Formats: sequence, structure tokens, C-alpha cells
Amino acid sequence: MSFELAVRLSEIALGFLFLLQMGEHLRSASYERLLFIWRGVMAVFLVTGFMLSFVYVSLIMNALFILYRFQGPYNGGSDRMSLLLLCCLAFAHYLPEQYMKEMALGYLALQLILSYFIAGYVKVVNSEWRRGRALQDVFLFSAYPVSEAARRWADKPYLLLVMSWSVMLLELLFPIFVFNAYMLYAALFLTGLFHLANACLFGLNRFFWAWIAAYPILIWFSSQFLGT
Amino acid sequence: MPFCVLSMMNKVKCSLSLMVPVLIPSWRFFDEIAPSPRIEFSFLDDSAGEPNWEVFTASVERVSLLQGLKRMFYNGRWNEGLFMVSCAERLMNAPTQHSEDEIYSRLIRNYSHKPHAKYIKFRLVFLYRDEHGDLARYMAYDAKPRAIEGELL
Repeated sequence: MSFELAVRLSEIALGFLFLLQMGEHLRSASYERLLFIWRGVMAVFLVTGFMLSFVYVSLIMNALFILYRFQGPYNGGSDRMSLLLLCCLAFAHYLPEQYMKEMALGYLALQLILSYFIAGYVKVVNSEWRRGRALQDVFLFSAYPVSEAARRWADKPYLLLVMSWSVMLLELLFPIFVFNAYMLYAALFLTGLFHLANACLFGLNRFFWAWIAAYPILIWFSSQFLGT
Repeated sequence: MPFCVLSMMNKVKCSLSLMVPVLIPSWRFFDEIAPSPRIEFSFLDDSAGEPNWEVFTASVERVSLLQGLKRMFYNGRWNEGLFMVSCAERLMNAPTQHSEDEIYSRLIRNYSHKPHAKYIKFRLVFLYRDEHGDLARYMAYDAKPRAIEGELL
């Protein structure tokens, strides 16, 4: 995938995510709503690729206002990933030399790889995760399950043990997959399914869109620097 | 230096400091399953009234395939609930007036259909698995009652 195509696909996906965020905040209190309408309007420009030099400054200013408004990300990791993507795309847009632009997006690709690997590592060193007990607790009493029906998955320990190890192995092995194009596409399909499952079971819809939006950059990085 | 300039500089400094974890994230998702907060609230007729606790939840009994599909694109109430959980965790780790204000204003807005009450109060109850493997709970934070009138709805 070319640099330009990867950037454009990520811009469109990120703009789409920001539009979804605007929709979710239209019923919020007035100042909060205003901040997300600002983000949504800029997202339209981001999707269309129009006036990007202005749009990136505006979106980063908007991100600072929103971070201050909520004293941090509104929705934890998913907002962090979308803002990291925004910053890296902005750097890639403004930096003068091509190698600098590639470094900005390379940093994003490395963070994306680390997001899986570190998440897998911190789980596998925890005996509760290795025994499947941690995932059982997530379903049993964490604030995440979207329904009482989903909470009843806590009664399926063997299924949760298999799910725990599947997730940990996928996350831990992810850095290896980026060295082969076919394996990378297969891994991205599986991680996409993983985010989809998180969205369905735990309501984490923003995670799905935020990570998917960064995938084109990883595909470009893999083909450009790792020879896939 | 004028107060408004100092205040503005503090806001910029605060926003930039909040940006640092965005640029250098940790990605330690679910490294441990910590006690999980539940926000319990009660509307009161007077600030010293006896609370009748209700649990704030955005959860439902079952989510159909169609609802699940819709939630992929619009999940505002659920994501607001997750933000309130973050505020509850912040109140335990690094308490600020902001976190308490956020929980109060969102409780009032979500339950604005409940008339007559003049005050609202919330507390944080944490669920965890005890040493015998059973589900247990403890009350960790008891907010002072707040008058509803004048709150931004």
C-alpha cells in the first residue's frame, strides 16, 4: 500500500469515527455538544480531504479542549488511539521531508503493534488470566458487560479459558505477523473480530473504529519497512 | 500578570499535560481485574433525608442483533456510563471536584424525569472477589447531598 493511500484511508476512517462521536454527544450539555459539533464539522473536511492544513490544527485544538473538559480521555484507550492517530497524521501532513512524514507514521505503526503486544504481555504474566479467572471476573462483576445475558458468560469457565488464551496468544504473537503480508492480513482480520466482539459484549464500539482506522498505516509500514 | 491570563496559561498547561499519555500511551489493558465501581444514587426531599439507593446502570437484560448493530454506530448512553465509571475510579485514585460534578450532572440529566426531589446524593460501591472466591462489596465513597435546583441539566 502506498504512503498516500494509507494516509487517505486512515483520514477517512478517523473522520468517520469523529462523526460517530459527534452523534453520541448531540444530546449532551451545551458546551460538550458544541465541542463535538466542532469536531464533527472538521471531520467532514477530514473525510473529503478539503483544507487539511487548517483541519488538522483545528482538530488538535479541539482535542485539547475536549481533554481539558473531561480532564482526560472521555473513553480511555479508544480515545487515546484516535488522538494518537490524529497527531501522527497531522505530523505527517505538516513535516516538510518525506522521511520525517514516514517517521511520524512509523511511530504510529509501532504503537499499534505495542498496543497488542503489551496488552498480551500484562495478561500472560498474571496467573488469573492464565487460569481464565480474570476473564470470568470481567463478565461477572466488571462494569463492562452490556447486558445481563452477557454477564451469564461468567458461568462458562472452560469457554472463557479458551477465549483468554486465544486473546493472549493473538496479542503476544501480533508483532511476528507484521513480517509477512498474508499473516498480517489474517492477523488484522482476527484482531478486527476481537474488537467487534468487545463492541458486542462490552459496548466498546469506539475501540473497534479507532483501531480499524489505524490499520492502513500498519499495512503501509509493513510493506515499506519490513519487505512484505 | 492579569488573573485571566494566568488562568488561561494554567488551562493550556493542563491540556498539554493530558496530551502526554496520548502521545506515549501505556496500553496496559486489563492487566488486573480491580474492584469494580457501581454508582448508587438517591433523590432526597431534604439534605438529611434517608436515601433509597438505586444503582445507576446503562445495562439491559438482553441486546438483540439489531440493537448490537445500532450500537456499533451510536452508543452514547453506554459510553457516558463508561465515562462515569472512569470518574468513579478517579474519585478513588485522585479525587477532584470535577469527577464528582460530572457524576452528579449526568445522574441529574439521566433521571430528570423524576420530579419533586430537591436533593440528590450518590455513593460508590465496589464489587470484588473475596479470598473465598465469592462476590463481595464495600462502600468506598459517600458524596455529600447536592441541591438539584441550579444544576445544569
